[in-house]
Amino acid sequence: MPSWRFPFRKRALEKQFDSELRFHADELTKQYIAEGMAPDEARRRAALEFGGPEQIKEELRDVHRVPILETMLNNFKWALRLIAKSPSFSIVVILTLALGIGANSAVFSAIDAILLRPLPFPDGDQLMSLQQYNTKAKSPQTELSNLRLEDWNRINSTFQAIAGYYTESSSETSGALPEKVTEAFVTPRFLQVLGVSPALGRDFSPEEEHFGGPNAVLISDRLWRRRFAADPNALGKKLLINGYSDSIVGIMPASFGFPDRDVDIWSSVPTDAPFAQDRGSTWYVTIGRLKPTVSLAQARANLATLQAQLGKQYPKTDAELAVAIEPLKETTVGGVRSSLWMLFGSVSLLLLIACTNIVMLFLARAAQRQHEISVRFSLGAPRSAVVAQLLMEIFVLALAGALLGLIVAGGASKVFRVLAGSLPRVEEIHLDMRIVAYSLLCSVVATILCGVWPALRATRKNLSSSLAQNGRSQVSGGIPLQWLLVGTQVALAVTLLAGAGLLLRSFQALGRVSPGFEASHVLTFHVSASWGETADMAGLTQRINRTLEQLRSVPGVEAAATSGALPGVPSEFHTDLQFAEGERDREHKITAENRFVSPDYFATTQIPLVSGELCREPKFLPGPKSPGAVRLEANSINVVVNRSFADTYLPGSNIIGRHLHVLGNAFLRPEDAGEIRGIVGDAREEGLNRIPGPTVYWCLNDPSPDPYYLVRTHTEPMALAETVRKEIHDIEPARSVFDIMPLEEQLDDAFAENRLRTILLTFFAVTAVSLTCIGLFGTLSYSVTLRRREVGLRLALGALQGQIVKHFLLQGLAVTFLGCVAGWGLASASGRLLSGMLYGVSPSDVVTLSTVVLLMLLAAASAALVPAIRGSHVDPMQVLREE
Amino acid sequence: MPIEKSDLLQGTLDMLVLKIVTLGPIHGYGISQRLRQISREVLLVQQGSLYPALHRLEKRGWLSAEWGESENGRQAKFYKLSAKGRKQLSKEESNWNRLAGAVTRILQTAQ
Repeated sequence: MPSWRFPFRKRALEKQFDSELRFHADELTKQYIAEGMAPDEARRRAALEFGGPEQIKEELRDVHRVPILETMLNNFKWALRLIAKSPSFSIVVILTLALGIGANSAVFSAIDAILLRPLPFPDGDQLMSLQQYNTKAKSPQTELSNLRLEDWNRINSTFQAIAGYYTESSSETSGALPEKVTEAFVTPRFLQVLGVSPALGRDFSPEEEHFGGPNAVLISDRLWRRRFAADPNALGKKLLINGYSDSIVGIMPASFGFPDRDVDIWSSVPTDAPFAQDRGSTWYVTIGRLKPTVSLAQARANLATLQAQLGKQYPKTDAELAVAIEPLKETTVGGVRSSLWMLFGSVSLLLLIACTNIVMLFLARAAQRQHEISVRFSLGAPRSAVVAQLLMEIFVLALAGALLGLIVAGGASKVFRVLAGSLPRVEEIHLDMRIVAYSLLCSVVATILCGVWPALRATRKNLSSSLAQNGRSQVSGGIPLQWLLVGTQVALAVTLLAGAGLLLRSFQALGRVSPGFEASHVLTFHVSASWGETADMAGLTQRINRTLEQLRSVPGVEAAATSGALPGVPSEFHTDLQFAEGERDREHKITAENRFVSPDYFATTQIPLVSGELCREPKFLPGPKSPGAVRLEANSINVVVNRSFADTYLPGSNIIGRHLHVLGNAFLRPEDAGEIRGIVGDAREEGLNRIPGPTVYWCLNDPSPDPYYLVRTHTEPMALAETVRKEIHDIEPARSVFDIMPLEEQLDDAFAENRLRTILLTFFAVTAVSLTCIGLFGTLSYSVTLRRREVGLRLALGALQGQIVKHFLLQGLAVTFLGCVAGWGLASASGRLLSGMLYGVSPSDVVTLSTVVLLMLLAAASAALVPAIRGSHVDPMQVLREE
Repeated sequence: MPIEKSDLLQGTLDMLVLKIVTLGPIHGYGISQRLRQISREVLLVQQGSLYPALHRLEKRGWLSAEWGESENGRQAKFYKLSAKGRKQLSKEESNWNRLAGAVTRILQTAQ
């Protein structure tokens, strides 16, 4: 007999045995000595009366054996034998669980990587994103100026360090052809905040962080491998970026991709650069690392006080500003949180449905196993032992399902990465021990969900006899528990199907909207540029206009324009505005979306002019070069507003000729105003899923040097891609053209997350309905088998086969219908979870829900048909003879 | 409740041990001494075989045990009756009395 004792307890127990037994022998010896015996004689006598200590200890060990593991091992062997005995049953259970657990683990792996884990930096939870905002005017401006960032970093007491960065697309021209590179410009302390060091080489030296110091860059592992074939001698080599020669001082680790994965080059911006001495010019996206014991609330309070002081010190620029601090992880992944949890919820419902199926399978099988169980009872097995055995069987199956599920999850997470390339942190999704542990946890939960009920039911002592009789003399469909489970499944499946239906309908609705602009036959792309160019806005605008001229001369091009943002791709830039004429009261707020376009934008996107005329470009003033702020000839700025703006803010009166000021720390100086020259039709600029709101089109170049170029073509837009590239290379040989893509594809990509969740939820819902149909099929088949005798009798008494089929079919459909009703309620209750993801359809949309119910009933009817027909094919004579 | 034949001696020893332990915490040697005194040397079991019985009763929760100091200052394991053990003892006592009564009656009427 195998024996097993806890090794750590074993030694302590042995010691106790020894001292307890020795005490007894010693006392006995002492007593005999006291009675006058010689010590030797007394010891001999005592040993004789006491018995052999080794034998006694062996008996004591027997008493203390731990039986649990032994029993578990036996149960395990027994379970394996049973599983091998009914392979088809086991395979069905394993596959069902593999699907349920696999899908669950796959979605969990995404949630774990994206939402649960800290950012991939040392103590990533200390990283914060810092932004400034104007408290008086609605203004989305969130970047910081160099001086303010340095003030925050110097004066605060809650952060280890604060740093900033911004990225631009640059051209690297040391090779044969110009290459577009993404360059991140960083303040000092950037790597210190992130807690990362170069894999090779070093961080910037203090000289390199001073204006006029040597030009130095850090490069990405990817660029290092591509351009230098991973040669360590790349350190010290020069790159020619936007015409500047920079030495490579460090190579970053392959895992490092901040602010995003595309960055190839990091270069330092000196804090003492003359162009960075204006508190109003803001361009740094700002991050900070909290001191170890500081809480977010303390940091917020600290920075609020600090900014209030700065407001007193610099009333003109800082008085109306406040600080917003959020965990960096939140700003990185906050946008996809609801989608991911929604998917996790649905995939958990799926697992629940799978478990319900298995419960039904086990319930049906328990009936067949009644005999075996009663034999075990009569042999004296306690109920707990029988239950443990039944649970072990399910656990072994669930474990096999979980292992297979891990393979499913591994494949699924690859699919996930392909389908959802735009998701933040998607490259961090992979299977590791946490996911394996999660799958194991799932299998334990599945065991409990699937096993406990059937096991307890099967071991109810008085059930064995009654059930055995039921099998033979059943006259009605008396398996209410199974039908209840089918109903539950239907309800859950309907919930999932309703969710998928709503998402599909919004997806369709989104495809059908008339956006107010024409997306087909438009090619979009970027041309590399540097923020340095914004110091000379006039020159920048001239350069862009020259490029547009060149594009217009290309055969096949109908119109060409630039815009700061793509129409229909979600993005917004809302600010508060004010009419220059009268209406000075602060209550009468004007809030509108701002778009920066070249005059041909409306011809290119085919947004129609409703009244007035299109805008013209402003005249620039020569003057001190300072980026961000524009110096323009007075009254030369003009704007076009959309119909919604005119109807909302000046209904009925003539809006043309009025002037608009921008409030807050925005893109125009307060003294500059834009003259409204015309009204255009409403277009869904801020996203295809957004009703057009009041919008102001500024005929100004975007505050960035690198706007989107839009080209309307006569034919398929991508056919012109190479021509466009060549034409621009002819006039701008040092610049690279990149991200060439039709506007329609850009719009598709913008809604990729939308598409992903729709595809996934639809897949889950279809799986759920299939599982439910299998459950219904199984239960009806079982019920039909139980009622063979009754059917035989009925047929013998003259019932028609058609009636029998109808009877069984109706039984299945009645349960399905009740499940649908419950599912409808569940779906309307949970529809609110989806409301942020829906477009053009309400969460309780009756059409969708009724379609879903109809579909479910149809699927149920087809699943019920086969067992119903089989149930009616009973030979009455045979059944009666069986008695 | 019928008592299995093979259980008889074991069950009896268990009952006697429980009875002795009622008087208060006592170590194995003490139990063995008292057992001999009470039964006037009738029950001559090997003293060591008492221990498997003690440990079994402890495992069933009828006895609780604690290490303490003996009368002469040595470490010894003291056994005490638990509430569960007290219940078990009264059950076994009444069983025993019923059985003993029945056996006595049979012996008397068969004379």
